[in-house]
Amino acid sequence: MQKNQFTRRFATGQTDRKGRKWPMVLAFLLLILGACSSDGDTDAGAEPDTEADVEAEDDSEDEDSTDVEESDDEAEEATTDEAVELTFLTFETPALGVEFWDASIGAALDSVEGVEIERLITPDADRTGYAKQLQSSGQFPDLLSSIDAKEFTDAGLLEPFDQDWLNENFIIPDASTIDGETYIPPTNAQILPLVYYNKTIFEENDIALPTTWDEFLTTVGELKAAGVVPIEMAGLEAWSASMPIVALASADVLGQDADWVSKRYAGDVAFGDEAFVAAMQKHRDLIELGAYSDNALSTDFPTANANFLAGDSGMYIMGSWFTGTGYMALDIAETFGAFPLPTDDGSLVVPFNVGGTTSVSAASDHVDKALEFAKAWSVAPASMAILVQEDGAIPLMKGVSVSDFDVTVSSLYNEIFDLALDEDNTKVSAFGWVGNEDSLAPGIADLFYVLAQSLFENDDIESQLIQLDTDWDAAVG
Amino acid sequence: MAWLAVALYVAFLLFPVGHALFLSLTDRRMLFNEYDFIGLDNYRALPGDSRLVASLQFSLTVVVSVTLASNVLGIAFAVLLNRPTPAFRLMRTLVFIPQVLSGVIVGFMWQTILAPNGILNVTLVDLGLVDQPVNWLGDSTLATIAICFVVSWTTIAFTTVIYSAGLQAIPTELYEAAKIDGANRIQAFTRITFPMLASALTISVTLSLIITLKLYDVIVVLTGGGPANSTRSTAFHLVWVAFEQGRAGQASAVAMLLLAITAVVAYLTTSLLRRREVRL
Repeated sequence: MQKNQFTRRFATGQTDRKGRKWPMVLAFLLLILGACSSDGDTDAGAEPDTEADVEAEDDSEDEDSTDVEESDDEAEEATTDEAVELTFLTFETPALGVEFWDASIGAALDSVEGVEIERLITPDADRTGYAKQLQSSGQFPDLLSSIDAKEFTDAGLLEPFDQDWLNENFIIPDASTIDGETYIPPTNAQILPLVYYNKTIFEENDIALPTTWDEFLTTVGELKAAGVVPIEMAGLEAWSASMPIVALASADVLGQDADWVSKRYAGDVAFGDEAFVAAMQKHRDLIELGAYSDNALSTDFPTANANFLAGDSGMYIMGSWFTGTGYMALDIAETFGAFPLPTDDGSLVVPFNVGGTTSVSAASDHVDKALEFAKAWSVAPASMAILVQEDGAIPLMKGVSVSDFDVTVSSLYNEIFDLALDEDNTKVSAFGWVGNEDSLAPGIADLFYVLAQSLFENDDIESQLIQLDTDWDAAVG
Repeated sequence: MAWLAVALYVAFLLFPVGHALFLSLTDRRMLFNEYDFIGLDNYRALPGDSRLVASLQFSLTVVVSVTLASNVLGIAFAVLLNRPTPAFRLMRTLVFIPQVLSGVIVGFMWQTILAPNGILNVTLVDLGLVDQPVNWLGDSTLATIAICFVVSWTTIAFTTVIYSAGLQAIPTELYEAAKIDGANRIQAFTRITFPMLASALTISVTLSLIITLKLYDVIVVLTGGGPANSTRSTAFHLVWVAFEQGRAGQASAVAMLLLAITAVVAYLTTSLLRRREVRL
């Protein structure tokens, strides 16, 4: 009886002195919960960040460095009145940090008058996804770096560069065209990916470099027998986990049919087709062979880099940026080599990603100024010099060689540079990475990357690829 | 002033929900302004979306696990900390800290603990309890358990506070009477403490369900939805459909589904537990 009385008093708020406290505590709790929920969403990047927000998340030491203005004080004074402010969406990596962006933006501003740059930084590696978030909230930047242009061109959101300027400045001016237009200047290229190997481990264990897929499987077995992890894998994040399947799809699918992606758009081929399934089966075969560490899927990119460079693993499938000093110090680079992932018949297929950095928003209030800045940024030696040295970029600018940039590169970089310029090998688009006609449908690259992870636990390759076809069809409407 | 309250309610609650409902009936794409009205097509597509179904299954696992763990352990902590001394008062305050932390901070903190070379694995290996670091975040089963654990770690904080408040409202005379009648501690808990926590249980369970149903931030930082998409909650899937695929109409349909599930679950839970309160 007494219990029921107390229950009713809780319900009506007629509690004793102790009882009156707890509705207040609950109200406080709800307030706290509301506040926490809001913070969490914002921090996670669900809402577009202002520059200040981005800076708060960014662990760079130099908080003031995102506003880059002309270094020439006199020029700045003269142009302050009419200067326009352009927002520039950038990203940071271990190799391309604050110093790179400050130097490259500063160099571009030296040749463009009346422009100030407000630099935005993506919260993670997904530049394209973040750009979409900004667009959807009316904050589409004037300039965007290294996005997947194809996802925006159908909506008319990007401004093309004029062909005369492209022809005048770049070795392969049409390398990044989408429907005949270029939205990202083709300033440089990456081979994506390559198989890096530890020369010391290979020599000590008398392991020969593989030239065919069968030999590659033998190499994996030999490394395993030698007690090292055969292939390092940064499997925690999907983009870095994807490297083996990017190599396989590029070599085995695009190597056989360079128009595969166009045909996929037309519905003439599918992920579930035999050729694609066979290519992905090779990744599954590597998993079953024990080619990767047991902890591969919880190893992040910096840890995988460190593991490989420390000699914990024999091979590492990664982009050519890994040859840059931002990842591999010059004094140790000589102990590593690289080769394209071997094909069944030993033919050399090089997954190539010609790209650049700057895209211009067609909706910008200052399209001309944005184009002017983007062009200046693209051809500024300071931009390319750091990209070459730190990020292993292969410059594709007319009349310019690596030596012109006054940079110090490793012998491994030179080896890969020669591979990139060698006309005897077959070059194909790096599957899921390029930003040209071979770019995948919206959101599909992300799902394709994830396949590299899911094949660890799910050996039903065909059904996963059929699901990818379903996702593709939904994405293109 | 009533009109102001109504206006605010309409502007900040009904309009956004109504707008999302409208979008869910269109084929709106994120990057395009034009769209067509397509009726219920987006809703018809939901059952066939295997990624959505997988995300619902994952969310259900987390919701059930976290709600159970956070309420059982919340009651346990509250009972253990229910002492009137300053030290216990301080401990009751400290136990609330995980709830105050942003989900991003929580995710980051536990990511560093659960990483292959994180403090947990280093400790386990050093103590000789495992030969190799445990793949906490790289195995889909372990990653799911890890997320349930981490989310429970935060929700236990507020359930403990709710139950602590509830415990303090129970008159001590009841326990004294029970003691005179010869009741032991277990009997005192089952016959007095637990029934008297009925209102707290209703609030705590309902809030736990709602919080875990909309789970997003911890997952983004802790696992990024991986490995192999195995830890994508429905909210995570919604964001992916909206911003990666750019399908605003379809994403709005997922949002409406999530809203409906949350509302139904909250209503059913509250009704059931309220009925229990009345019975007691």
